[in-house]
Amino acid sequence: MSLPSVLSFLQSCNPAILQSGGVREAGPLDAIDGVQPRALVEPDSPEMLAELLACSSRERLSIVLRGGGTKLGWGGRPAGIDLIVSTRRLNRVLAHAHGDLTATVEAGATLGDVNRELARHHQWLPLDTSFDGSTIGGMIATNESGPVRHRHGTPRDLLIGIRLATTDGLLVNAGGRVVKNVAGYDLGRLMSGSFGSLAAIVSATFKLAPLPPASTTLVATFRDRQAMAQAVSAVGSSQLEPAAFDLHVAHESGPAPHLTLLIRFATTAAAIDAQIDDARRLLAADHIDLVTGAHESELWRDHARRLWTAAGAVVRVGWPPAALEGVLALVERIGREGASAIELVGRAGVGAGSVRVSGDTTTQVRAVEHLRAQRDVIGNVVVLRADLAVKERADVWGPPGDAVALLRAVKTALDPAGILNAGRGPV
Amino acid sequence: MDERLLSEFVRICGADGVLHEPLQLLTYECDALPHLRMLPALVVLPASASQVQAVVRLCNRAGMPFVARGHGTGLSGGALPVAGGVVIALSRLNRVLDVDLANRQVTVEPGVTNLEITRRVAPDGYYYAPDPSSQQVCSIGGNVAENSGGAHCLKYGFTVHHVLAFDAVLPDGEIVHLGSPMADTPGPDLVGLFVGSEGTLGIATKIVVRIVRRPESVQTLLAAFDSIDAAGGAVSAIIAEGIIPSAVEMMDRLAIQAAEAAVHPGFPSVDAILIVELDGPAAEVRSLFQIVEETCRRQGATGIEIAADDQQRARIWKGRKAAFAAMGRVSPNYYVQDGVVPRTRLPEVLRRIRTLEARSGLRIGNVFHAGDGNLHPLICYDERVPGQGDRAVEVAAEILSYCIEAGGSITGEHGVGADKTESMGKMFTAGDLEVMQRVRAAFDPRKLCNPGKIFPAPRLCGEVPGTYRQRPVEQAGSAERF
Repeated sequence: MSLPSVLSFLQSCNPAILQSGGVREAGPLDAIDGVQPRALVEPDSPEMLAELLACSSRERLSIVLRGGGTKLGWGGRPAGIDLIVSTRRLNRVLAHAHGDLTATVEAGATLGDVNRELARHHQWLPLDTSFDGSTIGGMIATNESGPVRHRHGTPRDLLIGIRLATTDGLLVNAGGRVVKNVAGYDLGRLMSGSFGSLAAIVSATFKLAPLPPASTTLVATFRDRQAMAQAVSAVGSSQLEPAAFDLHVAHESGPAPHLTLLIRFATTAAAIDAQIDDARRLLAADHIDLVTGAHESELWRDHARRLWTAAGAVVRVGWPPAALEGVLALVERIGREGASAIELVGRAGVGAGSVRVSGDTTTQVRAVEHLRAQRDVIGNVVVLRADLAVKERADVWGPPGDAVALLRAVKTALDPAGILNAGRGPV
Repeated sequence: MDERLLSEFVRICGADGVLHEPLQLLTYECDALPHLRMLPALVVLPASASQVQAVVRLCNRAGMPFVARGHGTGLSGGALPVAGGVVIALSRLNRVLDVDLANRQVTVEPGVTNLEITRRVAPDGYYYAPDPSSQQVCSIGGNVAENSGGAHCLKYGFTVHHVLAFDAVLPDGEIVHLGSPMADTPGPDLVGLFVGSEGTLGIATKIVVRIVRRPESVQTLLAAFDSIDAAGGAVSAIIAEGIIPSAVEMMDRLAIQAAEAAVHPGFPSVDAILIVELDGPAAEVRSLFQIVEETCRRQGATGIEIAADDQQRARIWKGRKAAFAAMGRVSPNYYVQDGVVPRTRLPEVLRRIRTLEARSGLRIGNVFHAGDGNLHPLICYDERVPGQGDRAVEVAAEILSYCIEAGGSITGEHGVGADKTESMGKMFTAGDLEVMQRVRAAFDPRKLCNPGKIFPAPRLCGEVPGTYRQRPVEQAGSAERF
């Protein structure tokens, strides 16, 4: 579809879309995996977003939904994109019911902006992202999570209500504004991990957490993977209640791997001290550092970005927490077999993380295959970021499970014309 | 019922796994919401996932609707049979299949009781967190269907936060694996959709749940207040301190009296009590518990009792968890309502309930999860008094309308079931429900899987809402209610 025909399509759909000033021709920076969209549309109201989806569905225009654009490279190569529909202008915090510990925010609001607003009442939406500018809608759609997942879970765990725009132009609510509610289907959770393939997220309501009174991070380094795995097992079966329990493993040019645990305690000062004392006794670490204040914030910011600021493919993986030693062995083996660098950042207690592997295309593709080969040790291997050459050879989403027909039926029920996210997956 | 069809069910589940005599069926005509009853055509008791699958396939072939049932403790008629349909009772699927302490996971069949999981792992210092009051008898399969909560979900979340994966027999008889024992299953969160779908999207046959390490320390206090308002104020003040207790429960005078009469927990005779429990690392609990105690006093607590040990704590919880059943001591019949309001709107909604109580002439006891605004008004009535049963249903519905007006929900944990389908239209638009129905149809295009639940349907011709009264022909077991 050419730009003039896109414009005439928008004109016939609703002239207000063009008048709102939220339409521009897409440029090379808007391309996803080399697929060039025609135009970018930024609706300035939920109604306009819903109407745009309905018109696009009738005309079978292919759409990719975009929040902050920080994770657009995740997923398969788009089959074709007519419009990028951005939620950038739907970015308000609609309500912060601090007495109820809930907030309703629009999909295009960034996590950073939301949390700055919530902090005025010493509360926060306890999620973290690896990217500046991640939006709430994008975080739900990808179910992106980080270190605080250990205590607070992923976006789907905090979501209590959602508003969606469907491809037939409805604005639909599910859930509500109260933390406890089992009325009707949980469409919010259905959107979690959907990558914008089923409907557009307009706004969402979350349960919040109070900001912790104090925080300290214990950084422990280990000489070998056995020692690290033992430490993880000891903390996991202890009564310590860290706010985050992360690991970082890197094999670079040198012979010795870098093995670090980061354990964050965020509670009253007395409870932090007591737990750090207990943790020291549990960890047979080579070296232990305590980090607090501005250094601590910096430490975690660097940790969250580590995989994304270096080159190579980033692959999401899950593992049984007790299989960590096997995971570390596999990572080490991939490192020995030609990767110029490989590192793993993840949640030690949950068994969730991402692997970055750099090297030539073949090395990266083989690394993905290796990660998929030991299914009792590592599972749910999904290629997040990779060059197109790698994506074309490594199956981005991995083998579909036996629910694939069911997922297709759900997709057909919500997006019968197949306009959303065509080719990128997961449905 | 057609003899040939019957013999096919017998071939799948064995002669002792198929019930079809009216007297046998009576046990299954309702769940724990006794005013809705329906005799099914047949009850089957499969003993394996493949038998469940075969039964569902046969139901599809015969075009018979089916309803899965756990242990029948549901309070919304979610397991209410469908006329002419099959009840698939999962009580024989009751094995604990795997306990994996290293990964903090337990794999169970749906008929295992909630408390059984904790019993298995307690010696090793673990427990299963969701704790509905019926946890001694309710089944995990039922918990999955209803997304059950409990007193401690304020801190620990609901069933959906503790189920990692399950096998499900879909409405067409296919078996699928949803979720994964490992983190981050790719794609839309079908586990999250299925949990709480009240048995309308399929039947879970093997469930992997997360278990949690026992906290280092638990502290419980019971605070007495002169008014519900003062107790409500204390709840808000605790939260405003930035403290998330593991449980905050409130009971009013009538509920306290009932609990005293039934299990003698030694509750004070006051207008309201608050039970607050904190758990976590000892040093954290110590300092926060002090703040909670001070806050209660500042908000006007007339007395505070702190549980000195696990025995005292158990006694307090026994009084709280027995509260529903205890209403039987103070009233011949009672109706348990389940509504939610934003926590800050609690005092206002409770005042409206008080006014309604005076106006209706029916006593209303209040037991609720105050921390998350989940109300459980217990509406007392006497079914022998003409009109009182209907009045109780009206009062219950009016309380729900207060909840909706306050921005809350028509159900926090009991489910919509068959009981509240007509209230769904007050909380959701026709468009909201239409999209949910599309999702349902993707799972169950033939509408055979627990039909008549969750979504409003046009009332049958001549049917009048109200509490159920058995007709003589039904009492004799010779007729079903359609």
